[in-house]
Parts: sequence; C-alpha cells; structure tokens
Amino acid sequence: MMMRLETFSYLPELDNAEIEAQIRSILDRGLVVAIEHTREPSAYDHYWTLWKLPLFGVTDPDDVLSELEECRGEHPDAYIRLNGYDRRRQGQVLAFAVHRPAQAEGS
Amino acid sequence: MGRSPSVRAVQTHARSLFAAGVREYRETYWTPDYQPADTDVLALFRITPQHDVPAEEAAAAVAAESSTGTWTSVWTDHLTTLERYQARAYALEEVPGRDNEWFAYVAYPLDLFEEGSVVSMIASITGNVFGFKAIRALRLEDLRIPVAYVKTCTGPPNGIQVERDKLNKYGRPLLGATLKPKLGLSAKNYGRACFELLAGGLDFTKDDENITSQPFMRWRDRYLFVMEAVRKAEDETGERKGHYLNVTAPDAEQMLERAEFAKELGSPIVMHDFLVGGFTAHQTLSNWCRRNGMLLHVHRALHAVLDRQKSHGVHYRVLAKWLRLAGGDHLHSGTVVGKLEGDRETTLGVLDLLREDYVPADRARGIAFDQRWASLPGVFPAASGGIHVWHMPDLVDIFGDDAVLQFGGGSAGHPWGSRAGATANRVALEACVQARNEGKELATEGAEVLKRAASRSPELAEALETWREVRFEFETVDTLDPVA
Repeated sequence: MMMRLETFSYLPELDNAEIEAQIRSILDRGLVVAIEHTREPSAYDHYWTLWKLPLFGVTDPDDVLSELEECRGEHPDAYIRLNGYDRRRQGQVLAFAVHRPAQAEGS
Repeated sequence: MGRSPSVRAVQTHARSLFAAGVREYRETYWTPDYQPADTDVLALFRITPQHDVPAEEAAAAVAAESSTGTWTSVWTDHLTTLERYQARAYALEEVPGRDNEWFAYVAYPLDLFEEGSVVSMIASITGNVFGFKAIRALRLEDLRIPVAYVKTCTGPPNGIQVERDKLNKYGRPLLGATLKPKLGLSAKNYGRACFELLAGGLDFTKDDENITSQPFMRWRDRYLFVMEAVRKAEDETGERKGHYLNVTAPDAEQMLERAEFAKELGSPIVMHDFLVGGFTAHQTLSNWCRRNGMLLHVHRALHAVLDRQKSHGVHYRVLAKWLRLAGGDHLHSGTVVGKLEGDRETTLGVLDLLREDYVPADRARGIAFDQRWASLPGVFPAASGGIHVWHMPDLVDIFGDDAVLQFGGGSAGHPWGSRAGATANRVALEACVQARNEGKELATEGAEVLKRAASRSPELAEALETWREVRFEFETVDTLDPVA
C-alpha cells in the first residue's frame, strides 16, 4: 500500500514546473516557506527534520527551488515536503510533499 | 394597541397607591435617541405587527417582553431602577418590498444575561415574545454579541488551527462522508463502510444524526468496530483519520459515558446534535472536549424548523453564533450547491461568522452588526447534502480551505464502491486546490480542471460519468431582502 503524504498525494507527483507554481502562490500570499525531510513518515509524526531554518525574507521561487535541490542532493533517500507558515494566523497553513525516496512505492 | 380605555383609566384611580395600570409599551421601550453601548447585546428583529398595531409599539413590545416589561405596571417595579435593565427598541426600518414587515433594532444591557450562558441569552431574547399576540410573526435576524460577553465563553474546544495541527492536514478542505444507508447496518458492516471510505482517501466518516444506539447497532459495538476501521485506515495510508462518533444520547450522563469510551478507544473526535441535545448538554460536552483534547463535530438537526421561514423564527446566522459561543469544532452550515436550502450570500456570511475573528456588518449578506470574536477559536463549516465530484470546483471556490466537505452518497454511490468513490473525491479536491493555487478560476475553469485530473484517475473519470446530470435546482425559500 502506498504511503500517502496528505495534500496533493493523490495526484501524480508534481513536476518542477508545478512545484514552482505552488511556491509562487505561497510567496504571493506572504507566507514563509520551510523545507522538512524524514526517512520514516508517520501519520502521528508532527516534526520532520527542518532543513536549515524557514526561508525568512525569500520572495523568489528560484531561491526556494535551489534550497530544495540542495536538500534533495543531501537526502536522496528521504521524503521531503514544503510547509507554509502564516504569521498573522500564527500557524502552519500549508504542507505538501515534493520528493519521495527513489525506492518508495508509488514514486 | 387594542387595550380598552376603561382599563387605561385604572392608573388614575384615586385609590391606587402607585402608578398602576397599563401603559403603551412605546412610552418606555421605544427610544429612538438611544446610542447603544459597546457592552450592549444588539438584536435585529423582523417584525410583522398585527394590522392595528403601529410599528413603534410592536418594536417596543418586543423590547419590553424580552426584558423588564410585562403587560401591566406592578408595584415592585418601583423597588429598582428599571432603566438600568430595560431593553430599548432604538431604530426601525421598513423592509423593502414586503407588506407590513419592519426591521427593529433592540439593545439589551449586558446585566440581563448570565456570564458564559448561551442558555440564559436564548431564554431572555426568545422567551415569550415569539408568541406575543400583538405580533403576527417575529424573526431574530442577527445578534451582536459584545466582546465583554464573548470573553465569558469558552467557545470551540480546539478551533480550526489546532485541529489542523493535531491532524497534520494543511492547505486544503478536509473530506468526510456520512455512512449510508443511514439506518439498518450491523456494527461490523458499518465498520466496513467506514474503512473503505477512509482507506480510499477521506479524512473523516460520520454517523448520521439518526444513528444513536438502536436495536440493530448499539453504540458500544459501533464504536469498537469503527475505531478498528479508523486505525487500520491510518496504518494503510499513513494519514490521520477519524469517525464522528455520535454521542447524542437520551440524557447527559449517557452522553458523557459514550464520549469517555470514544476517548478510551483513541478516537480523535465525537459528534453531537446541539439543538436536539440542547445547549446545556452541548456546552457540558464542549467543556469536556476542551478538557480531554477531543475534537467536536456538531450536527444541526431541527435547525430548519427554527430558521427556514423568512418572517418567523431565528435566522441560522444567530444559531451559528450561539454555537460558536457554546463550543464546537465543526458545524454544518449549508452548501449553496447540493440538495439542501441555502442562499449563496447568506451562507457566505455564516461562513465568515464561524471562521473569522472580526466580521463587519454587511447587509448584502444579511449581517446587521459588526461582530468581534476577540480570539474565540474558529469553527470549521461542514458542507453536506447531495454534493458530488462535479460540485468540487464550486465548493473549493465558495468555502476555501477551512471547511469539511461531506460526500456521503457522492462517495459510496460510486459504481466501483466506496473506496473508489473516496479516491475520486480526493483526486478532484486536490486537483481543484492545485489549480486554484496556480491562479485558475474554478468558477469558470472547474470542469476543465476535473476532466484533466480524470485523465489520470480512472476513479474520478467514472465518478464524473456517473453524476454528470444530477442537479438540485429549486427556488430558495429564505431569500435575502434588497438592501435599502
């Protein structure tokens, strides 16, 4: 059975152009992006490993994509997701997977 | 107002030891110069007076009978300062395009209501005025709850943001389904229906409001089988799942017993029918949920008896406000599309009142007053009733992310079964969210978005084919008035 990873995990894996479009919408909404990764996702695990810090002040989708590439390069066997934080709402409002390990089912 | 002069004369009777007799209500309770205080509870009523009753008198009667007044002066009135406690009718507007209907604004001093008690507020404001003879019909259209009162209420046990954090679900509406058939499944078969839907991609399944603890399925058996299904679906998918276990019961003790057992089994959520269970039981359960970290899904059986008729009753926006005060994490609130009543602008107004921290007055949505919620948590609106995949673009467009979309028949009615139906809905939902984020207009491009997603999802393609022609197009009974 395929491990699902919440939002967008019932769609075919997003390609780079689709990921970039989602990043653009996150930044256009004024949200702060963060990258997280883990080797063992679980429904009850709230905290994956944070990649560096949330990308405060980043407004260009290319900057997010290059961070994502770097994270993929260092953690090819991990699941990686993008989060969006809303300072006004004081919480996380977005999360979707952008990378699965090469050997994972359904990737 | 139809009182005989002989009765009125009593007040000047030489032997009266106080100002006895019957006064017109408007002498005391119609105060057009009154400036409402920030701490007043403000009400907007739609009044249809009897034909020989002037609008000012009818409005004053409503203010009087829902506060300090009664039909005659009494000597004990003189032991207090009634002006400190009286409600005041302070403005009147003729309802445009309606015969002999008036909007009356009434201000209530805060001291009329017990702190943190929705029950006290409802008993005061809707007490006996709705059956008052001088008025043919009466409807409570809106209610401004002052911040000073909001702060005495606990509100939703968790709220939208906390629920998302607990369940790890972000950036999309949540998906649910009511298990069908509503009645007659054994507990084990019921658990199967639950499992298939959750494993297929829904976040929640739900007891129908009719399901409590009948001979064909006792509550304890249902809870056990359903929670096995929930856990198994979580193991299969790696996502959090839940089933709204209905704890609505014959008495509050049994309600709490069922809630405790749901918690013991690891259920994240319970369900209650707030109007039939009553506000006292409901608030007890909501407090219990806050103490025990449980989510609370709220159904609204009975609401249409109270809120559907345009000229009499209590508007749903008021029932929804009372619920937000009393507590609940999800509340059924109309769909605009689908099989159940609900005008679009009215529903959008109710969504704001459930979710936002500040809602400005907007008569185009039927909202008469600014409402500040002062950080009381928000409530997820739940949309259900005759909705299916073709409605998904409109639902995402109308509701945004912070909603629970309930596809009961629209999941289990899939020709390949519940699991495929659930997957079809999840694919349709995610495709719509993705497209919206990319800047597409779901209202106009929704069908294209669905067709493209269906080209890569056989479950969705089959669902689109099955429900292609289903529409529920009837005239809305409770329409908004034109703004004067």
